[in-house]
Amino acid sequence: MRINSNVVKLALVALSASYTGLAHAELNVFACEPEYAALAKELAPTAKIYSATTALQDPHQVQARPSLIAKMRQADLVVCAGADLEVGWLPMLQMKSANAKVRSTEQGLFFAADQIETLDKLANVDRSMGDVHAQGNPHLHFDPTRLLNVASALSAKMSQIDPAGAANYQQSLADFTTRWQAAIPRWEEQAKGLQGKKVIAYHSSFRYLFNWIGIEQVADLEPKPGLAPTSGHLASLLTRAEQRDILAVVVASYQDERGAKWLGEKANLPVLMLPMSVGGNDSSKDLFSLYDSVISLLNGVK
Amino acid sequence: MTVFNPRISLVALACAFASPSLLAADSSLTNPNISAVLNGYYQTGERPLSEASEGFGLGETELAMSADIDDMFYGKVTAVVETHDGDSELNLEEAFIQTMAMPAGFSIRGGRFLSDIGYLNNQHLHTDSFTDRPIAYRAFLGGHYFDDGVRLNFVAPTDLYWTMGIEAFKGESLRAADEHGEREFKKVGVYTLYSKIGGDVGDNSSWQAGLSYLRNENGQITAHEEGEEHEEESADEHEGHSHAASYTGKNTYGADFVYKWAPNGNYKYQNLTLSGEYYRLTDFTPVDLPAEDAPSKDYHQGWYLSSVYQFTPSWSAGVRYGEVDTQELHDEHFHGQKLKESEVSLAWHSSHFSTVRLQYTHQNGTNFDGIEDDNIFTIQYIMSLGAHGAHQF
Repeated sequence: MRINSNVVKLALVALSASYTGLAHAELNVFACEPEYAALAKELAPTAKIYSATTALQDPHQVQARPSLIAKMRQADLVVCAGADLEVGWLPMLQMKSANAKVRSTEQGLFFAADQIETLDKLANVDRSMGDVHAQGNPHLHFDPTRLLNVASALSAKMSQIDPAGAANYQQSLADFTTRWQAAIPRWEEQAKGLQGKKVIAYHSSFRYLFNWIGIEQVADLEPKPGLAPTSGHLASLLTRAEQRDILAVVVASYQDERGAKWLGEKANLPVLMLPMSVGGNDSSKDLFSLYDSVISLLNGVK
Repeated sequence: MTVFNPRISLVALACAFASPSLLAADSSLTNPNISAVLNGYYQTGERPLSEASEGFGLGETELAMSADIDDMFYGKVTAVVETHDGDSELNLEEAFIQTMAMPAGFSIRGGRFLSDIGYLNNQHLHTDSFTDRPIAYRAFLGGHYFDDGVRLNFVAPTDLYWTMGIEAFKGESLRAADEHGEREFKKVGVYTLYSKIGGDVGDNSSWQAGLSYLRNENGQITAHEEGEEHEEESADEHEGHSHAASYTGKNTYGADFVYKWAPNGNYKYQNLTLSGEYYRLTDFTPVDLPAEDAPSKDYHQGWYLSSVYQFTPSWSAGVRYGEVDTQELHDEHFHGQKLKESEVSLAWHSSHFSTVRLQYTHQNGTNFDGIEDDNIFTIQYIMSLGAHGAHQF
């Protein structure tokens, strides 16, 4: 029975800790990916923001680990890419964290993919196609226009769950929008020379980036979405590369470089590791520098 | 254990599965998650207290359906089809509801569900890295302990993960043997308490540690009549293949830990899992046992340590060592027993949804079911279809 009374005591201490925590009205944001942590920071600079993953971690395969349960337990708002990207871990976190506030998109749960039209939606999904997303490609943060729409919806969501801060969120959104809209033509100008170029890439991670700046991904290092490159598949990519029209082999910061390096050596192609998100390389410190970095890396092999 | 008429039930399940619209879409309020797990094996021997027999066999074929019921409740049903000696049985392993909108980190689960004691117990068998549960689980929890009952759980609002819970169960599968059939068992037989803490160490690793206590009101043998032969339920003499525990006691104490590592915390290519658990059962002897009949040790205990390394997305290998040290009542006297299991496994994953595993087990027993020095090879497949279930840590 000693255990019992200790547990009760500890629970009471924890409960009182949670109530003192309520005195601070700062929004507590749990972001599934670093790009949404960065976006939340633009829109709510004083909020307490935690990113569940880094740009070096594949968001398809994340452990529903204890630290994430603890963070989600305290969150007012959960911001994720959606379109089933987090289907293997987010539902478990929601179940285990017992936080009613972030249960549904009507309250503190926000999916970026719900705010925009995703690319590559599929009417029929079959597992023989690999690990595909019926709701379309979730890696949408490399489309500046879509991301701006997401920003506006996210700002509205922040105002909904924290009405007292609404004026601040609107101000931050206006500020972000101005800077972002000024950056888009600059990036488009910088990326002009990349239009029509062909690349071989890993997964459809940069689908939106390529769609935006007019790069064509002619082949995928993955034989099927979610499956690692096989030697047979790499050999077929080598045959494709021998047409000599490929600019580079592109992988994201959380992807294994080995297949790409093999192909790059055999086909004499540069291998580019692009930051998948904020923190994916040293220069990507926020969304602006992430875009800067990706475009300048691509321009570097032109 | 609920046993339905298998033929009718299987037809019903087949009908449920024949609806393609349910399988194609995503889980939402109108479209529940439906999944099936197919599991088959061939093995050269039988591990004691295991449900998998020698030769070809099917493991638990699992059919699960889950969804949010409304904005307050989540529900899940997991039916398990098991085949033993030519008979198919449909058992319900889970049929529970859980609150999703209670304040302050509380939640209540009711119905039939897996107890949250220990590390492995609340996980489904098909997510294991070995073909059977560790011997300690098979001996003390009937492989995995699920039961009809209720749970209250609390998650603390702290950066260090901290959860605790209390459960009450019917406890039928953990009852002590009652060969005379005269015992008045308590109807609410099992109470548990558990607490777990966990966190990250840098970006690369995560850990969780837990303590549990299980009070089993029906776990102690009561009658001890002179001149009569008593025997605790022994390994191969289960009625049918119930999930009953073979060794029970009034008090069970458990400790568990798990540590996971991946380079940069990226689990896709390489990752390592280390885990271990320890259980000790006490107060298992009859209250009126004469002092001269007392066992040499007044506890049963068991533990395991396991390590699994996934070295490419397609291959993983594991080693596990486990043992139990138990007392068996036989001819009015308790006899010490011991079983040690050393295991290695190698698994190939064609994708996230399919696994083919080869496992070798070496068993070293002392007075344990005739096992002295046995070797068992198992080849097994486990594949899942339907909804992509979220896995626990």
